[in-house]
Amino acid sequence: NSVGEACTELKREYDQCFNRWFAEKFLKGESAGDPCGQLFKRYQLCVQKAIKEKDIPIEGLEFMGPSKGKTENSS
Amino acid sequence: HPWETVTTAAMQKYPNPMNPSVVGVDVLDRHVDPSGKLHSHRLLSTEWGIPSIVKSLIGACRTKTYVQEHSVVDPVKKTMELKSSNISFTNLVSVDERLVYKPHPREPDKTILTQEAIISVKGVSLSSYLEGLMANTISSNANKGREALEWVINRLNAEIEEFTASARGTVRNSMAAAAFVEK
Repeated sequence: NSVGEACTELKREYDQCFNRWFAEKFLKGESAGDPCGQLFKRYQLCVQKAIKEKDIPIEGLEFMGPSKGKTENSS
Repeated sequence: HPWETVTTAAMQKYPNPMNPSVVGVDVLDRHVDPSGKLHSHRLLSTEWGIPSIVKSLIGACRTKTYVQEHSVVDPVKKTMELKSSNISFTNLVSVDERLVYKPHPREPDKTILTQEAIISVKGVSLSSYLEGLMANTISSNANKGREALEWVINRLNAEIEEFTASARGTVRNSMAAAAFVEK
C-alpha cells in the first residue's frame, strides 16, 4: 500500500513494471532503458502530494525522475 | 537461495505476514548511477497496533511511524546493500540498520546476509534497558526477515507455476475447441 491511499493503484502499476524489469533485465546486466519512466512519474507526483499533506519529515531527498538525467521539479 | 532470487524478493518484501506492522511502502526516488548500480530511496510506513481508543485521542495520522530506506544493488559485483533509519521520533531514538546480501563465496546457490543495527536513545534514563529490549527485538526480527523473504520467494514461485498451468490450460482448451470445430 502507498502512504497516500489514492496512490496505491499507481504504485501497483509501477511496482509490477519495475519488478519485471528488475528481475528480467537489470539483474542480467541490461540496465539501459528503463521502461517504467512514465508510470514512475505519475506515481511520484501523487506520492509527493501525499507526503506534503501528511507532513512527513523527509529531508534532503530530491524527487528526481528515474534513471538518467535530473528533471527539475516544480513544487 | 541464489542471490538474484533473494534480491528480487527483497525488493518486494512488503507486505508479508511476518512484518504485519509495515503498512505502506513508497519509492521516493530510483535511479541507476553512472557505474550501473541501482539506487532506491523508499519510505516505509509502520502501524503499531495501538488500541483504537488511543488512536481516537491522538488522531489516526499520528499513529504511523516512518522509516526511510536507501538501497544499492550492484548487478556486476552482486551485492545489495540496504540502509534504513527511522524518521519518526528522531528526538527520542535513532535506529539505523544496515543489511548486505551477497552470494555465498563457496555455495553459489546460497546468499549471505549480514545485518547490523545501531540504536541510540536520547535523554532517557532507562536507556540501557530500552537498548537491550530493542536489541532483542532487532535480532528476532532478523530471523523474521529471513522467513519473510522465504514467504515472498514461495509466493513468486507459486505465481509462476499458476501462470504456467493456466497458460497450458488455455492452450489445451483452444486445441480442444479447434478439434471440436474441425469435426
